[in-house]
Amino acid sequence: MTTASRSIDIYWRIGTHGDQRSLRRRLVTRGDWSPVVPGSITPGLRGGRPDGYTHLDHMADVARATELSGFVGGLLPSFPFTDDPWAAAASLARETTTYRFMIAFQPGFLHPVQAARMSASLQRATGGRVVYNIISGGGGPAQLWWGDKVGHDDRYARTSEFLDVLKGVWDGGPFSHRGRFYRVEDAGLPERLRGQPFPEIYFSGSSRAAIEAAGRHADYYLSWLEPFPALAAKFDQVREHSAAIGRSPRFAVRIDVLARETEDEAWEEIRRGWRHVDPALLQGPEAGGDSVGWLRGRSFIDWPVREYRELEASPNVWGGFHLLRGGPAFGLVGSYAQVAARLDELIALGVDAFILAGVPHLEEAHRVGEHVLPLLRGGRPDGGAHTSAPTVETKGNLR
Amino acid sequence: MTTPRFLLTLPTVGPYADPAPLPPFVTDTREDRYGAFDTIAEVGRAAEVTGFDGVVAPFAHDAEEALIVVAGLLRANRWLHGVAGFHPGVGTPVYAAKLSASLQRFTGDRFGWWPVVDLDPVTARAQGDFLDGPDRYARADEFLTIAKGVWEHEDYTYEGRFFQVLAGGFQGPLAGRRFPPVHLSGSSEEALELSAKHADVHIFDATDDIDALIADLGARAAAHGRTVSYGLRLTVVAREDEAEARAVRGVPGHALAGSFEQVADELRRYVDRGVGTFVLDTEPHVEETYRLGERLLPLFAQEHARRHVQEHAK
Repeated sequence: MTTASRSIDIYWRIGTHGDQRSLRRRLVTRGDWSPVVPGSITPGLRGGRPDGYTHLDHMADVARATELSGFVGGLLPSFPFTDDPWAAAASLARETTTYRFMIAFQPGFLHPVQAARMSASLQRATGGRVVYNIISGGGGPAQLWWGDKVGHDDRYARTSEFLDVLKGVWDGGPFSHRGRFYRVEDAGLPERLRGQPFPEIYFSGSSRAAIEAAGRHADYYLSWLEPFPALAAKFDQVREHSAAIGRSPRFAVRIDVLARETEDEAWEEIRRGWRHVDPALLQGPEAGGDSVGWLRGRSFIDWPVREYRELEASPNVWGGFHLLRGGPAFGLVGSYAQVAARLDELIALGVDAFILAGVPHLEEAHRVGEHVLPLLRGGRPDGGAHTSAPTVETKGNLR
Repeated sequence: MTTPRFLLTLPTVGPYADPAPLPPFVTDTREDRYGAFDTIAEVGRAAEVTGFDGVVAPFAHDAEEALIVVAGLLRANRWLHGVAGFHPGVGTPVYAAKLSASLQRFTGDRFGWWPVVDLDPVTARAQGDFLDGPDRYARADEFLTIAKGVWEHEDYTYEGRFFQVLAGGFQGPLAGRRFPPVHLSGSSEEALELSAKHADVHIFDATDDIDALIADLGARAAAHGRTVSYGLRLTVVAREDEAEARAVRGVPGHALAGSFEQVADELRRYVDRGVGTFVLDTEPHVEETYRLGERLLPLFAQEHARRHVQEHAK
């Protein structure tokens, strides 16, 4: 692998359903997903009355902190209980400068021509800062909540066809298509909307159907963090499928990060959060949908567990984040230098992009941007000798 | 007399022309940093500061995507309402409602819908829509029914011809906002029936026989136990005097042209006939927005003052 020409894109997640003040307590005080009380912000109280701010105002702060701290942009997640990423991105388009909006969306909910129109207009509003995180859905009741009855493997087939149509109309057409899920006739973006760069595609999904669809369309194959050998094996599978059809996607990993000056300080944060974990959750996972990635994430742990360090699959790779804040299980816990070293190991495994996250997102964006990213060495073997002093001038300088 | 609401049509339709280039020896600091969205933002800001109630981004094949446009404008302004045009084949009603719930949260309920049902067949098929005739209205009915259903109920199930949802419905902070006011248009029987069931405002064209249509739609709405407000979309050219207005070039034949007072009188006659919302088309946009905001809208100051009192009395 030649690292000289690689450039690593590092994103920072943005919360679309509020945020906690820390991992120590699962209290959402930023945004209105919990009752608004003194100490809540966006909306907050002023003189006992709502101050008129909304969670979007806090998201705007996080987005600006993110771009200022050296990240290329952020992932805007989408679930039944979250605010909508398209709405948030369109609202914040002109309040940010370099921030790339990685919009999570399920192809089944928008027609591909409409998705093309929205994307092209948003590219025009942002100067080409739209990125897709295509998700094909976790199944179960949530899928029906959205009004989507299509089964697991068919959802990936639909995603594939959706992207065929979206790409087909992008340059203006005329594009006609008659498929299983979509049909268009002489379609194409109008002159006004043409000529924008096509958004990069981050494609998620751990099943065989997902990996096959990713092979066709993904610029980046995106996975949650897993123990490194499992992740490497998964990447090999995607490489193999992609090579068979002449494509070679890059790899991205979504990682929760808890980094502090020293390793002890980092684990102390986990210990404080652990005191409030519901003991019932330590018995083991309870599946809800048909997400293969979710099941994989839980399968790396010997359930039940008693102590938080039992969830450390390998040094600094901890599988208990979902117990402290929901979402994926695995993340990195350690000193700034250790976390940087683990990220470098992933870069050496072939990872070209990261979506990092930490709670609270605003302050942790500054911390990780200022203390961890400058330590990255671009995956070069260095015997783990990461020091606190920056060894490259800027993130992405990988010579 | 009811008090009129003034909306301005945004310049989002048709090819966008970059501002005229400067001669090469003149320092130009703009480089490529400005484009259509700056123009739109300027018009939106002008509408806000000159006292318009809101703006409309219409649906058209050759238009900027309206949800994206309106979301950005509402974020950038404090008072402005924004109405986005789209057709009911854009996606699922659950998703449209979800996206809209966020926009209502972000904007303090200033976002509205204008679903466009009666697309010409070529445009419709290019959008992936192959429904014909009354089916289009049946789908629009279902779209609006489900969107309102998930909006208003925590546990909502609907099995329709075109869409379905099982145990859907918004919870937590996504629930309880104002459903986007629904603007609809059209003069066919199906269009009027759809409006009778779902419209908050039915927008007519200047060429419509509005007295007959208002009577018809009013009766249909009453049959559903509802009332609908009426709007009119028209081109306005208002100047110091009629001669000056008539001298403006490129004015369409059906435009309302005259002195500010004449135009205000004409609009008042429409108000007397039941029109409560005017969607004004003007060009050039920023300059005309200021002209109308400074000279025409104040002529309705009395009505506005009365509405202000009424709203505060509620």
